[in-house]
Amino acid sequence: MIRVGDTMIPMARTVAFTLDGQPASAPEGELLVHAAARHGVFIPTLCHDDKLEPYGGCRMCVVGVEGSPRPLPACATRVAEGMVVSTDSSVPQYQRTLTEMLLAEHLNPDPGGRPNELVDLAEELAAEAPFILPDAKREPYDDRNRFMGYDPDACILCNRCVRYTQEVMQCSALSLEGRGPHARIVPTHGYSWLDTECELCGGCLSACPTGAIYEKFEEGTERPERTLEKVKSTCTFCGVGCQIDLNVDPETQRIVKVTSEPHYVSNEGNLCVKGRFAFNFVHHPDRLTEPLVRGEDGELHPTTWEHAFRVAAEGLLRVKEEHGPQAIGVLSSARLTMEENFLIQKLARTALGTNSVHSCEAT
Amino acid sequence: MGRGATTNSIPEIENARFILVIGSNTTEAHPVLALRMKKAARNGATLVVADPRKIWLTKLAKRHLQLRPGSDVWLLNAIMHVILREGLQDDAYIAEHTEDFDAVAEVVARYTPEEAEQVTGVPAADIVATAREYARERYAAIFYTLGITEHACAVDNIWSLSNLVLMTGHLGYESTGLNALRGQNNVQGLNDAGANPSYLPGYQPLEDPELRRKFGERWGVEVPETPGYRLDQMMSGLHDGRIKALYLIGENPVQTEPNAHHVEEGMEGLDFVVAQDLFLNDSNRRYADVIFPASSFAEKEGTFTNTERRVNRVRKAVPCPGNAREDLRIVVDMAKALGADWPDYRTPEDAWNEFADLAPLWSGIRYDRIEEVGLQWPCTDRDHPGSPYLHAPHPSRPSGKGKFYPVEYQPPIEQPDSEYPFVLSTGRTLYHYNSATMTMREEGVVQKQEDPFVEMHPEDARALGVAEGDWVRLVSRRGELEARAKLGDRVYPGLVWMALHFAEAKVNWLTHDVGDPLIGTPEYKTSAVRVERVGGAIRPAAR
Repeated sequence: MIRVGDTMIPMARTVAFTLDGQPASAPEGELLVHAAARHGVFIPTLCHDDKLEPYGGCRMCVVGVEGSPRPLPACATRVAEGMVVSTDSSVPQYQRTLTEMLLAEHLNPDPGGRPNELVDLAEELAAEAPFILPDAKREPYDDRNRFMGYDPDACILCNRCVRYTQEVMQCSALSLEGRGPHARIVPTHGYSWLDTECELCGGCLSACPTGAIYEKFEEGTERPERTLEKVKSTCTFCGVGCQIDLNVDPETQRIVKVTSEPHYVSNEGNLCVKGRFAFNFVHHPDRLTEPLVRGEDGELHPTTWEHAFRVAAEGLLRVKEEHGPQAIGVLSSARLTMEENFLIQKLARTALGTNSVHSCEAT
Repeated sequence: MGRGATTNSIPEIENARFILVIGSNTTEAHPVLALRMKKAARNGATLVVADPRKIWLTKLAKRHLQLRPGSDVWLLNAIMHVILREGLQDDAYIAEHTEDFDAVAEVVARYTPEEAEQVTGVPAADIVATAREYARERYAAIFYTLGITEHACAVDNIWSLSNLVLMTGHLGYESTGLNALRGQNNVQGLNDAGANPSYLPGYQPLEDPELRRKFGERWGVEVPETPGYRLDQMMSGLHDGRIKALYLIGENPVQTEPNAHHVEEGMEGLDFVVAQDLFLNDSNRRYADVIFPASSFAEKEGTFTNTERRVNRVRKAVPCPGNAREDLRIVVDMAKALGADWPDYRTPEDAWNEFADLAPLWSGIRYDRIEEVGLQWPCTDRDHPGSPYLHAPHPSRPSGKGKFYPVEYQPPIEQPDSEYPFVLSTGRTLYHYNSATMTMREEGVVQKQEDPFVEMHPEDARALGVAEGDWVRLVSRRGELEARAKLGDRVYPGLVWMALHFAEAKVNWLTHDVGDPLIGTPEYKTSAVRVERVGGAIRPAAR
């Protein structure tokens, strides 16, 4: 039994079907693209995103289904009893032709060395643009927001970004506008990203398969995005605990961008404006880099760690001696890790001798 | 009910069929968790929002209960009144798993929806409909945050919610429960770790001599018996001489504490202040004798525990800048400088293991088990899979029974009057984080939200001759500030709202510092202010 809403319904029954001549089985109603993957047959997709409703727009995932007059998109077709599915006959040729057609619409399908599913697919299928369409050049788009850019030339109009805003964010921040060679993605009503109801979450760029929507931080850095090193961590901006990858440039030792993966627990790869973009405080020039001690002149002066610890210990111990341990309060922070907080309360209780350890997160 | 944590898990939200969001502006304060609520609503769940403001979620909500700030107890008691009047309570659950039900039944009998309408401003029919929907749906979940707790009646509000949950048996299974969304990244972990004046790590009461002995033995020193001061007591201790020194770690009390001018006066009287932070802020710049340059989350290893009690790993991605050091190192060296005989704690894992050895509900969580996916406490041994939801099969209090607490309504401490006619409520926005020392350093964020602003209703603005974007002055009994007017119907006439993020217009200059009598939570959500026009859209000279 599985639960759908408040009713228990029997598990979907298992149906038998044929995949490339082999017997296969799947829960009834499973998308063909998923059922095939479980049987080791990986069907390429571009417009498909597991977070979004089935769409079937780009046709890259077409497969042959016996009895159907034309190939069907595996990302929008559900398995049924007795279905006979083939991915090995004419399908590779379709995929190559589709890839070539997509490549032919771009002057430069691979700007910035960003992760790009179209370029990967072209490599895999050994597809090249047979020619470039004369109207391939799409008008560039410039937006004054500092976080996201849009490169219409790399856009394949799969609509994943627009669907993300509609289905996941449930807002109308982006639309697909214009037809044919003039089609492009724009903030709704042609406003700037800053002037729509867009919350700058960057979900659109995480949904983009070709890097057409991208983080602006990348501009000016030489390093292709694909060579960044990822360190998995936990976001620091609220209690949801989104799992993130800090993408670090190994040469400069700086965080260049933040990403997340759909299989990460709690956030499923989604992030908000702070989690995705507000990491630059880490490298901000205002960061404190030296211990400071207030001098006779009343000003703060840089000093050594050794001296700072000595002054701090003397000051606290003097107060303890004169007024007792209850005269010292320790205020810790939810910014710090669990381990640090554990040691801070231990410091209060053992080294200072007071239980007065608390924080502004008393609520 | 016996646990200071959310009862249920984030992934369960999307399967709830009824969601009550009360005192939580979820899309701004917990935006990614709000996506699950959006998904639930898209799947047909009934969403009801109770909030003085027309927050974004009201767009998806079936009903918006626009209650007056501080009238939550009236609203909740009236909902319970309807449930009992119509016999919608879960009698079997009440009999088997709770105690003192009669006391609550007696109190809420006096709280009719019709009278509730007078006090809360919420139509009686909406209260009745909400009560029916909530009580009749099995997969019904409640979410709340600081809109419930930042009142002088914080504990009353939480008890009211808890009464409602117990009465309907909405506890101890999936997609239900009472879920306090934790505001900061590691509030849960900080509390779990025992940074608390009356609890030792793992919520083990300090007053229990056995427990003090257990910790004392492991630590090799006696744990002091005298309870410590809470934050609010430390703040008042600044003035009456009880507190002479503070060690401030990542804290900025002169911005984040209520009645902030008063805090400033108190800080000036201290003998000694040690601070540990990433940036200079208004507290450490002016009052610290020593400042340690600390580490950001990207510069260290460790764990944060999220709002669903999941212990997640934090990993070092980049080195600390200059001579800044990891906080764990600083604390260990500080303890040694104070003469403490501590182990070396070469890694944060050493500290974690000491904690997990001492705190039974965490003892099964070890670093090797949380490399890929975090575990949710309680997790009592190495084979325990963690706990997605609490209070199963029965409430976690020692008696095994959830306790009803009868609650009577107490009006907010400061009421508007002829001199200060507006109610001021405060909160946070999507784009900034607390005192914004981090987010005001992010150009793209500042582009979206730079100037301090105050939300007010167009009717009030018209009466004052104020236009959108004009600067206005807010004055309370304790201070004043200037901010841009942002007009709209997110607030109702008579209510103004402001975020806490702005250093040049600290809303806590205005708030009062009379908190909850039991736990000291400040009443950030209601103060009385007046609003004055200051001459149009030109920014006043810097203060």
